Amino acid sequence: MSVPLYHVLILASIMFAMGLGCVIAWRANVIMMLIGIEIMLNAVMLTFVAGSAQWGIADGQIFSLMLIALTSAEVSLALAMVVYLHRRKRSVDTDDFDSMKG
Amino acid sequence: MQIYLTLMLFFPLFGALISMLLGRKLPRRLVEANACAAVWGSFVCALCAAFAYHAPETVVVGRWLAAFDLQAPISLYLDPLSLSLAVMIGFVCGLIHIYAVFYMAGEADYPRFLALLNLFVFAMLTLILAENLPLLYLGWEGVGFCSYLLIGFWYTDKNNADAGRKAFITTRIGDTALVVAIAWLFQLFGTLSITELNGMAFLMPGWIITAIGLLMLVGAMGKSAQVPLMVWLPDAMAGPTPVSAMIHAATMVTAGVYLLARMFPLIGGSGTVLAAIAVTGGVTAFYGASCAVAQRDLKRVLAFSTISQIGYMMLGVGAGAVTAATFHLLVHAFFKALLFLGAGCVINAMHHEQDIFKMGGLRRTLPLTYWCFLAGALCLAGLPLTGGFFSKDSILAALWLKGGPLYCGLYLLALVTALLTAFYSFRLVYLVFYGPDQKPHRNRELRVMELVLIPLAVLGLFGGVLNLPAYLGEGFLSGFFAQLAGGAAAEGSHTEELLLQAVAGGLALAGLLAAHLRYGGKARAQRLLESSSHPSPMAAFLLNGWYFDRFYRALLIRPYQALSGILWQAVDEGVIDDTLDRLAGGLGASGSWLGRWSTGRVSMYIISFAAGGALVLGYLAWLVIWPTG
Repeated sequence: MSVPLYHVLILASIMFAMGLGCVIAWRANVIMMLIGIEIMLNAVMLTFVAGSAQWGIADGQIFSLMLIALTSAEVSLALAMVVYLHRRKRSVDTDDFDSMKG
Repeated sequence: MQIYLTLMLFFPLFGALISMLLGRKLPRRLVEANACAAVWGSFVCALCAAFAYHAPETVVVGRWLAAFDLQAPISLYLDPLSLSLAVMIGFVCGLIHIYAVFYMAGEADYPRFLALLNLFVFAMLTLILAENLPLLYLGWEGVGFCSYLLIGFWYTDKNNADAGRKAFITTRIGDTALVVAIAWLFQLFGTLSITELNGMAFLMPGWIITAIGLLMLVGAMGKSAQVPLMVWLPDAMAGPTPVSAMIHAATMVTAGVYLLARMFPLIGGSGTVLAAIAVTGGVTAFYGASCAVAQRDLKRVLAFSTISQIGYMMLGVGAGAVTAATFHLLVHAFFKALLFLGAGCVINAMHHEQDIFKMGGLRRTLPLTYWCFLAGALCLAGLPLTGGFFSKDSILAALWLKGGPLYCGLYLLALVTALLTAFYSFRLVYLVFYGPDQKPHRNRELRVMELVLIPLAVLGLFGGVLNLPAYLGEGFLSGFFAQLAGGAAAEGSHTEELLLQAVAGGLALAGLLAAHLRYGGKARAQRLLESSSHPSPMAAFLLNGWYFDRFYRALLIRPYQALSGILWQAVDEGVIDDTLDRLAGGLGASGSWLGRWSTGRVSMYIISFAAGGALVLGYLAWLVIWPTG
């Protein structure tokens, strides 16, 4: 183990914070929000892999493999929904979609 | 023996599976040949089993139901009763399959038809050969299921589909009674093996045996179309004619008689049950014959005559003469299949016209059908020396020899029925085949279909040799069935027997004469004129089957419809639906009230989400930095 666990965790936290910031700040574009979510997920995966390497247990790696598969499915669904939303309102700004308001 | 019995069941099942799965892929000729070969293969197995037969034998083919005490393996039982029926079914069904291939030559949906026919043969053989009651019941329901599907074969016409449903529901009433009987038998005896049950009747008090016997009788009433559950059989004629011949005349409808004959050692000990069976049979025989006299539809005449003839078989069982009943069952299968197939030829040649008053003159233009149909009618009427004469007479003789006021009354009723039978058989012959010539529609299929009639006609006419009366030598079936319980019937002296036969033969001739006077020669044209006018009240009464359908409509169907109307509109729509609608409305209203608190903006949600996450993290960090305790 050449890289200490703490360093990886710090990197992952920074990535997570950046992803979160992206999601919160860039709400004018759904696609950018999706990218932010992806970054957050990657930060989580990094944590898993780091933990797996630290303790020598394969579980974390398996979990991240599963996460990769799940994420790709989620992204394909989400992008399809973006296309659909764009077709409905000619916009990808999340604030335009406020029909959830009672 | 095991291999014969297994193959006997396996061939039709396999044939049905091939038709079902590959019927659309294979060439038509191959599918048809496969269906016929399956049944004939089964028949050959039955013949082999007959030649290898020495004594009653039980063969276990495989495991089936096994849970705690309940043991119901797939075990088959071969005794004279099941063997003779298996051979008959293989032969008659084989011929009808060949006929059906040509009858349905223009049918596009032939794989379904042939698969169902094969499946029916499998179910019927299962019913016949079953050694335990659950397996018998499997076959019992199997034939009912195939019958339902085949009656409604042309399901796009609502009438046909309705007829199928009617048959299914009516027989279901009887089946329920049979299930109750089976469950009760298991509770009483702890076994469902027929051979074991038949030997244990003495263990139970009489009233229990009587109750079980009556339940089985109700089961037989449903399947064998006995009064009061007979209303489905005339409507079942909506199916294709080969189906009517095979299922609703020769084989399936006799299943009830078979059940009672099979369980005879168990239920035969109760005089009440026997009397009930005999009365049911006698009333049904008379009912069927009286209705057949007035019918106009060729197939309905034959349907009512089937009801009547099965009534005779029940009479035979009720008189304790299982041999006579089985004898009539076998001979009836031959000549009734013959009559139905002949009717199919006639209908085919008459461009699917079924009204007998619009037929006529086929005697010269369709000679082969005429002669074969005549042979069938002779058997049905019980004219001396035909197969039907001997078999019917053995039942009448058994009734007479049983003695007592009840059985003598039934004997007289059966004689009246025999007179009516001869009358309506020849009414049919005169109306369909005599009179001015009509140009039939001949085709290649019809020629082959006519050929199938010949072996059946021969068997029907000479079926009597199966069981000749004692004064003509030893009867084959009597000897064969002698060791069965109820098989060895009481025998009268030869003079008594001859006298009884003379009475029956004389009545049949009288019926023929009456039919000749009323429908033969010049009188025929007169009857045709009358037929176009409104029928007299009596004729309408008989034409509509004693208005039983209307009676059941008023007694059962109307109240049921009214009740379901109430349940539907008042209970289902009024109470249940309304409650749910109001609940949903209330929830919706409260939801939109709560919804006023939300912004509906995604960004807002994300920020609150992140803030919540930060709060949780902060709390955890606080715990780590200043641990409590």
